[in-house]
Amino acid sequence: MCRSPRTDRVVQVVLGGLALLAGGLVLLIFVFLFLGAWPALEPGRLPNLFTDETWRPGSQRDPQFGLLPMLAASVLVTALATAIAAPMGIAGAVFHRFYLPDRWEKANHRLLELLAGVPSVVFGFWGLTVLVPAINHLHPPGQSLLAAGIVLGLMILPTIAITSQAALRAVPENQLLAAAGLGLGRARTILSIALPAAKSGIGAGILLAIARAIGETMAVVMVCGNIAEYPSSVFDPVRPVTSTIALEMGYATASHKALLYTAGLVLMLVTAALVGWLSFRKPNPVESAT
Amino acid sequence: MKSTSRISVSGLSVRYGAHEAVRDVSLAIPDGKISALVGPSGCGKSTFLHALNRLTDLVPGCVVEGSIRLDDDLEITAPTTDVLALRRHIGMVFQKPNPFPQSIRRNFEIPLREHGVDRKEIPAIIERCLRDVGLWDEVSDRLDRSALQLSGGQQQRLCIARALALDPKVILFDEPCSALDPLASGVVEDHIAALRGRVTVVIVTHNLAQARRIADELAVFWVRDGAGTIVETGPASKTFESPTDPDAARYLSGERG
Amino acid sequence: MTSDWKRPFLITPVKPSTKPRCLYLDRTVGIIGALAAAGTAGIFLWIIWDLVRLGLPNLSWTFLTGEVEEAGRAGGIGPLLVSTWWILVCCLAVAVPLGIGCAVWLSEFTRRGSWAGRWITGGIDLLASVPSIVFGLFGMTFFCQVLGLGFSILSGGLTLACMILPILVRTTLSALEGLPSDLRPGAAALGLTRTTTLARILLPTALPGILVGVTLGIGRALSETAALLFTSGYSTRWPQSLEDSGRALSVHIFDLAFNIPNGAANASATALVLLGMILVINFTATTLADHWMRRLSGSRL
Repeated sequence: MCRSPRTDRVVQVVLGGLALLAGGLVLLIFVFLFLGAWPALEPGRLPNLFTDETWRPGSQRDPQFGLLPMLAASVLVTALATAIAAPMGIAGAVFHRFYLPDRWEKANHRLLELLAGVPSVVFGFWGLTVLVPAINHLHPPGQSLLAAGIVLGLMILPTIAITSQAALRAVPENQLLAAAGLGLGRARTILSIALPAAKSGIGAGILLAIARAIGETMAVVMVCGNIAEYPSSVFDPVRPVTSTIALEMGYATASHKALLYTAGLVLMLVTAALVGWLSFRKPNPVESAT
Repeated sequence: MKSTSRISVSGLSVRYGAHEAVRDVSLAIPDGKISALVGPSGCGKSTFLHALNRLTDLVPGCVVEGSIRLDDDLEITAPTTDVLALRRHIGMVFQKPNPFPQSIRRNFEIPLREHGVDRKEIPAIIERCLRDVGLWDEVSDRLDRSALQLSGGQQQRLCIARALALDPKVILFDEPCSALDPLASGVVEDHIAALRGRVTVVIVTHNLAQARRIADELAVFWVRDGAGTIVETGPASKTFESPTDPDAARYLSGERG
Repeated sequence: MTSDWKRPFLITPVKPSTKPRCLYLDRTVGIIGALAAAGTAGIFLWIIWDLVRLGLPNLSWTFLTGEVEEAGRAGGIGPLLVSTWWILVCCLAVAVPLGIGCAVWLSEFTRRGSWAGRWITGGIDLLASVPSIVFGLFGMTFFCQVLGLGFSILSGGLTLACMILPILVRTTLSALEGLPSDLRPGAAALGLTRTTTLARILLPTALPGILVGVTLGIGRALSETAALLFTSGYSTRWPQSLEDSGRALSVHIFDLAFNIPNGAANASATALVLLGMILVINFTATTLADHWMRRLSGSRL
């Protein structure tokens, strides 16, 4: 069973090729998006994306290409989702770490891992059949910024809870011992010692969740109402960037299509910037979460 | 003897699950003196020390039996004892320096505020305690910088100052110098020795020379029948000169351990 | 005696101070935490209960095997299960060799922190951050149009392969890097070539870890919808070949719930099937991962 070093070289070249292909894939995606978006990025057209007031790309008479209301919707939905998920995820993680016995925490971790795998389309479906009617009851039409924020918040909750739990677990034992030795109570230890020490890990988890929320499509498209205007309250329908792509790609042509590629390009750059910035920070607590 | 002992331990046993770490230890710790606990690794010294301010509570499955009394009136091992208030009276300095990874000032503020000290008094306390450990001149202009920027020896002195800030009756030291380089170790040791007469010091050390230099009282721990216990105790000079237990004698003379 | 303190240590049993102020704070933090923890578990149980309540009455053997009728309002999901299966097969057939090959090269054939290694790892990390709808756009352009595969099972599978590639690379990489470090010099000392060491020693030992990655990848691929909308198509017929259009389960749920009036009943039954499959797969993955971790940490001692 002795192979010559020549086999080694062949194997090395083949594997190197595979690695190059895998690593270069993201570049390929970027290039194709860019090529698709190019017609819309020509110097004369670009300002329209930001000056047009609304989104009516198919109209023959007065086409409008305002991307801003949709970007605003993406940001609002993501912010609302984070505002719901972050406090819940962190508080829950604190409770499991410091108030409950160890085996509860393990069981909870298992549950969260399973929940993190629930398909987004299932969340969207639940939102459409249960949450939207409930919100409609409260304040019509139901399909709204609020519905999208809640569904998306639930989707990213497991991510935030898992990373927060890991970050709290990584607080050095000797810090907790020092706190105990000084007679600090449990609540004080949590607020003044454990949470500050876990700050960067928890922050990384939240950023990761935000990156995921901005790019999420299916959970949002089904409950957000899909009207491309600035909302005046949380009960108004909105239309984030991802929804627009999902709804219009099927029939878009020519310049309309180029605009959708531009939207995709913007999405990709935003999430890449978030994740890239995360992995450049020194400690990297992100890996366990994905 | 009874009137001058700060802490009196009698019949103390500590078990972790099935493992008995300390069995039937009795010891009187005199007020204002430095008591050193010595002995080979794994003989229950640290466990004993942790039992004195109930840090053993933190270990799941740890059972403490027997009696530890503070000033003859507070039964430390009683379940009704306010543990957090107790730890204010009995401070602890650990083997590895463990300042909180926050500013030097916050390292004092967090425990002082928790124990209800008025915000206005805190700057004076910080200065007094940092002077006590000789850190004031070194750090007075950077109290708001991270405590982790200090060297190992400075960090350990900060931990001592932080313990002093709560105005404890007793401070427990768990091998406070063993994680430091010799020079820093010497400085820390000098500051511990300077506490004599002001607070009661209980120090666990592996370093017999150090015990000889600073201890007033000495207790030698040894493993007997699978559990740690005290085999020799008394004034340091006398115990070093003429120990009665054969194991302790060989250990103190440097032959074993 | 410090060894006593190295054991897993828990601050849980600390009793709060009997001082009223501390007690009050401790209770407040505890109650907020308990509400959040119970809320998290409760909401998810509620979601799953809703799906079961809505979907279970429609679930039957004929539903699982039957044709899709009336755009999904009636009939079953038989052809969709077959389409989903073949999309998954295409996806894994490409992603597994590519992902493992890439990870092996990164771990065994390049120095850690080398120029090429860092760029490729960076590329993989960026790939992991790409939103699924963007994969959909790319798949539609590249596989359907440029490569001329059209809306087909093959296009969908290839698009998903790009998407799950980072999962496979990362888990394989961490499985290989988690191997006992003395395996490699040990094999070299026996005069084995790198290829033999890899094929006979390293990969077999790391196999459970790699399987975890593959299982996670399957779970991710099954739950994906956005990347399939414009690549594998909407056809509900029984697929005849990989070049046929075929609708995945997740796309079916979306279409029924969003575009078809009165489709909710069958949508929830389909959602229940999909959820069941994914929970089983992810449970398998985490169980495998637990065993693998325990075995590794056992062998190190």
